[in-house]
Amino acid sequence: MYAYIIRRLLMVIPVLFGVSIVIFFTLRVIPGDVAQTILGTSATEGSLAALRSKFQLDLPVYEQYFLWISGVVVGDFGVSMRTGAEILPEILSRFAITFELTLLAAFISWIIAIPLGIIAGVKRNTKTDFSVRIISLLGVSVPNFALATILILVLSLAFNYSPPVGYVGFFEDPLRNLQILFLPAFVLGTGMAGAVMRMTRSSILEILRQDFIRTIRAKGVKERVVIFNHAFKNAMIPILTIIGMQIGVLLGGTVIIEQIFSLPGLGQMVLTGINQRDFTVVQGAILFIAFVFVMINLLVDLLYSYLDPRITYK
Amino acid sequence: MRNLKIFVILLAIAFMAFLAACSGDSGETDETNAETSEETNGEEESSETSSEEATGEQVLRIANDQEPAGLDPHITPAHSSVRVYSKIYSTLVRFDENMEITADLAEDWDWADDQTLVFQLREGVTFHNGDEVTAEDVVFSFERILDEETGSHIASYFSSVDSIEATDTYEVTFNLSSPDATLLTNFTNSSAAIINQSVLEENGDLQQVAVGTGPFKLEEWVPDNRVTLLKNEDYYMEGQPALDSVEYYTMVDEASRLSAIRTGEVDMTTLTAQSSELLQNEESINVMDYQTLEYSYVGFDMNHEILSDQNVRQALSLATNREGIADIVWNGQATVTGPIAPSMGEWSIDVTEHELYSNDLDKARQLLEEAGYPDGFEIEITTASTYDDMIDTAQILQQQWAEIGVEATIKQVEWAEYIDIWSNTSADVLVGRNGSGSDPDRAMNYFFNSEGSANVWGFADEAYDEIVLDGKTTIDQEERQEIYVEAQNHLLDLSPNLFLVSPMNYVAVRDTVENYQPYPHNAEYILDVTKK
Repeated sequence: MYAYIIRRLLMVIPVLFGVSIVIFFTLRVIPGDVAQTILGTSATEGSLAALRSKFQLDLPVYEQYFLWISGVVVGDFGVSMRTGAEILPEILSRFAITFELTLLAAFISWIIAIPLGIIAGVKRNTKTDFSVRIISLLGVSVPNFALATILILVLSLAFNYSPPVGYVGFFEDPLRNLQILFLPAFVLGTGMAGAVMRMTRSSILEILRQDFIRTIRAKGVKERVVIFNHAFKNAMIPILTIIGMQIGVLLGGTVIIEQIFSLPGLGQMVLTGINQRDFTVVQGAILFIAFVFVMINLLVDLLYSYLDPRITYK
Repeated sequence: MRNLKIFVILLAIAFMAFLAACSGDSGETDETNAETSEETNGEEESSETSSEEATGEQVLRIANDQEPAGLDPHITPAHSSVRVYSKIYSTLVRFDENMEITADLAEDWDWADDQTLVFQLREGVTFHNGDEVTAEDVVFSFERILDEETGSHIASYFSSVDSIEATDTYEVTFNLSSPDATLLTNFTNSSAAIINQSVLEENGDLQQVAVGTGPFKLEEWVPDNRVTLLKNEDYYMEGQPALDSVEYYTMVDEASRLSAIRTGEVDMTTLTAQSSELLQNEESINVMDYQTLEYSYVGFDMNHEILSDQNVRQALSLATNREGIADIVWNGQATVTGPIAPSMGEWSIDVTEHELYSNDLDKARQLLEEAGYPDGFEIEITTASTYDDMIDTAQILQQQWAEIGVEATIKQVEWAEYIDIWSNTSADVLVGRNGSGSDPDRAMNYFFNSEGSANVWGFADEAYDEIVLDGKTTIDQEERQEIYVEAQNHLLDLSPNLFLVSPMNYVAVRDTVENYQPYPHNAEYILDVTKK
């Protein structure tokens, strides 16, 4: 078991190494030059050359990569080409925002999706089931950004409400923080809920058909206990896979939602970085996102064996 | 199995601890930020910013549509940055509301001869950290701008400056290599800011810190979130600023800016022409407009085998209905323009009567025939997908030019790539937007002189070069105006670019904001602004 975890952790290294190469060279292949983007119409040959040498863009690409990656290995992600700010502290503080948003969104999606999914599965082909299926289809098919814009417009026009501007951290002002995060979390949560609901329903259906459920029922166990203690726990594995993937994606920054709601999360950081051709920021942030994604996957794999003791890792 | 449970729990705890460390980290950076700003602010303690309503403080909240790209005035031309640092730093001279040059850090100035400009500085002005402003600071600032290593975007504005001397504690002398009529105007540019040498040396650069002499001082910048400025109690202009603080909130999405101004979450925001209509009926919001110094244009690759022919370019100019572009792209809220935007007042010429603006299609076809393209030709228009107005303009041109047989395809590229294409002139036809600058030299010399840094078109005309050089070195105002009339007409005939329209800009302001007025050269003049 521990050997397995250590092996998995070691496997993270080549994955991140691969990601670093792909992101580094992709950024340098796409058209657009940092110095020229910064200076615009005011650029002169001299000022362009000065900026390029400041960012070490005049070195051969492999040398640039080597300089960067040797810093990253010792935890030095460098500074932003645009603002000169240290990148790693910036990534971490933004990740905290994205993480809170993700947790809230996941929480909202679970309290909607799991109960409804179970009910739909248990009451298959009834009116309840059909309504749940329609709701989940809506959740899956209405795009986030559309729902977000509609919510913003409706709330401001009909109720004269808009979320407070200017993000504040949870520990600074919890109430304001939750007010700011609720709408974006709700939008993301409903999107997630659709998929989780469908997965819960079909997973419960499948488990309820299995022999051990019939045996338990035959023993006279109450239906409530059958469903929650036996069926639900066994149905969790595919649900967990979906949830794990969704959380992984959300933690990478929900670019559009963060932009619409002006949240200074990881997604915004990457987007601003790409638009400004701030290579060092984009490289650092994407490498970090890859790291988080890999870690979440590992965590999900370990949770499998907790939920289903038949699964062991060697 | 129990072991595994414990392990999973431990892993979860470790993960949470990691996160706590992350957010703890952010707290720490905040603290260090606060510390540095405290240091730079001297002894003055800043009050709590978040509870402004309770204390009745005068706080102006502005939605910024882009994140500032850094705060160093000498190297950051981005508008989202300028609007912030222009409040923190001062320049030697500035424009008043009529675009006349007036005193700022310099209380007086004098041309000793036509190549020597002497400034007398205000005495007793201090930086936000308490250091006094002397002639040495001015020399340091401009030497930094002119140093190629700095990579300053405004170095080209001061290319005529040969040397700068501190001739007295409060007297600075600029020695020029040639007479330069544009120089004084160029000193009004927000980027020609006077900076503090010791702050620069302490921090390496000025992208994160800002210690100026302006009406506001930097309190805090939280990336992609907000910039907070506090009133400079020691500002040298009596009674200014009236506000206690200004807060900029980065809000990229237009719908959320609209919603925030509707509900009063922000007091002020810029708008597109389309959104300005949506707010017309809101009682508590005033939508204000002003003519910008910008204009839209079509740029030609002058080395292109077809476009190098002057007849072809003139034909395209004749085939272009500029009024139509103003109507469709800008809802009619734009003015047809020549090479210098109409908001530059007497510098710009009236182009409505110009032959090439007559939209005479027969004449256009005739010119094409003379050029050897009686059936027209095929061409590619490149524009930036980032700006809707540029795409719309390109599409209208595509339709208008089709009338004389010119079949255009449109290529949309993302902003950074667009800039790349612009600087390498790797497009046949480029649709874009330019700023006219605050001196005609910018629009005429810098963009179209055969040596001009922004002349990316490969345009070279000796006669034209001579005229604009004359314009740059002629100090007499009236004489200078005549020169630019000639230069503009000459440029229109050669048509290396087609000048289209100069749009209006819009600012939505809550009715609680008083004494605010946008100007073409300074859309965010807030020194007299108060809040009800």
